[in-house]
Amino acid sequence: MSGLTAVMYREGKIRATNALFIFWDVIYPLGYLLVFGVGMNEALGGVGRSRLPTDYHSFFLAGVLGMASFGIASNTAWSFFMDRDNGIFFEMLTYPISRAEYLVGKVLFNIAIGLTQATVTVFLASAVLDVRLRPGGLPLLAASVVIGIAGWFFFYAIFALAIRRNDAFNTVTSILYFVFLFASSMFYPVDPLPTAFRAAALANPVTWHVDVMRYATIGLGDPRTIAIEAAGYVVFTLVSFAGALYTLRREGS
Amino acid sequence: MSTAAISVRDLVKVYRRRGQQEVRALDGLTFEVGRGAIFGLLGPNGAGKTTLLRILSTLARPSSGSAAVLGHDVVASALNVRRRISVVIQETAVELFLSVRDNLGTFARFHGVPTAEARQRAEGVMEEFGLARDAHRKVIDLSGGFKRRVQVAKVFMVNTPLVFLDEFTTGMDPILKRAVMDKLRREAAGGRTIVLTTQILSEVEEMCDDILILNRGRQAARGDLHTLKLLSQGVYDVTVTFDRLPAGIEQELAARHPIRLSVTQNTIEVTLKEDHGGILTVVGALASRGRVLRLEVGGASLEDIFVELTKGEAS
Repeated sequence: MSGLTAVMYREGKIRATNALFIFWDVIYPLGYLLVFGVGMNEALGGVGRSRLPTDYHSFFLAGVLGMASFGIASNTAWSFFMDRDNGIFFEMLTYPISRAEYLVGKVLFNIAIGLTQATVTVFLASAVLDVRLRPGGLPLLAASVVIGIAGWFFFYAIFALAIRRNDAFNTVTSILYFVFLFASSMFYPVDPLPTAFRAAALANPVTWHVDVMRYATIGLGDPRTIAIEAAGYVVFTLVSFAGALYTLRREGS
Repeated sequence: MSTAAISVRDLVKVYRRRGQQEVRALDGLTFEVGRGAIFGLLGPNGAGKTTLLRILSTLARPSSGSAAVLGHDVVASALNVRRRISVVIQETAVELFLSVRDNLGTFARFHGVPTAEARQRAEGVMEEFGLARDAHRKVIDLSGGFKRRVQVAKVFMVNTPLVFLDEFTTGMDPILKRAVMDKLRREAAGGRTIVLTTQILSEVEEMCDDILILNRGRQAARGDLHTLKLLSQGVYDVTVTFDRLPAGIEQELAARHPIRLSVTQNTIEVTLKEDHGGILTVVGALASRGRVLRLEVGGASLEDIFVELTKGEAS
């Protein structure tokens, strides 16, 4: 068994000790979509009465999937603190695995959860809310879930590994959560926003990620812009991975 | 390829923290450890023992110099080093939310032990460590001592040729401690190299066939127990029990600048560095001060050597 699968197995074993948390992870985006999405749809008055080209829950489907990816990634990064508290973190660094395998293996099991979550959410959004899915968009959606969770995990891992205090990390994630989620296309379209707000949203990897998922689910967006945003997000993921690896390699030195 | 299990050359580790004075934890250390040895690393707090173990187990990088484990450089070939070692770190390190059995199984999986074999080994290891009854319990529900058992037990799930044990007996009861020490001796006899640090010098005295005493990041002494004892020729342990402690005797002995002096009830224990004639004079003088119930004179123990070599450094 390779180091990668051993780390993934370990993460799975730990997560499997609490099936309720896994169940919640799988269904909460759907719950969010049903409560928040449907509520906002009613408040905005549906297609034609709002500035959206589609109903709100269709628009928000990609947003909720992006939010779920972001949440899974930050929780996975937080688990470095749990590993430190258990003392296992430093012991694991002496195991026959590379630092890269440790990082990637840690997020792989949670990517599997993310894919299950996206499948359940998209399928039930289509069945219950009549969201019209773009034919052939599912492979792109799956890829964006995988890369989306990995990118945010590597980004958060930099902070989780560099910051020694759990409370300080929680403060940082709260700030990042606020900035990244609200200055993005997650809850509303970017075009009608004030100039500065719009500029921040366009430079935000959450926007790139959600726009790709929105294109994959309901076909909204210009393919050329989406391709640039997808490439931007891949670069963000690679840079974050390099940063997390550098920080992990510095651990203890 | 080197035949040594560990080879260290001019190893230096300097810790630099912003706004703080730099700390030279290891200062030009050079030594080798043969395969199949039980190697004891001794030194007062801050001598550099844990830093050395961290470098040898690839947790930290040296500032300069080199270190190799079974012929593999700890920096250039870190993964190859990690494939050949198992480590019990000083702090308790367990998967709190997994059962005892899963802790052992997960560790074995990292080292590539096939699942069926790991399951079989786990049964034997749990039996030896008195963990069989708790096999299904989550480790979070066990006492501190049992958590430490699980941590140490993991090492015996795999066949890595080198084992590092940092203060491994912490929290272990004497019976288990003896059983683990016997097991380590058997493993070493089978060719496994054991490196251990401990503050309990009797453990080193009993187990190690090769000892390195570190002080301020440098080698203070090196060799087997007999060689080290030669370093302290002229050091004597004297124990005298009087029926009633003579007045002023503690001050008189203190004036001889002993390595160690303690007075408990009517018993005086003193470690002195004297020539042969000198020690007889001291013993004669002591015996003439009151009614002696017991008198013992012996050569230096490892503790005496340790105290003398690291005098003034222990915190």
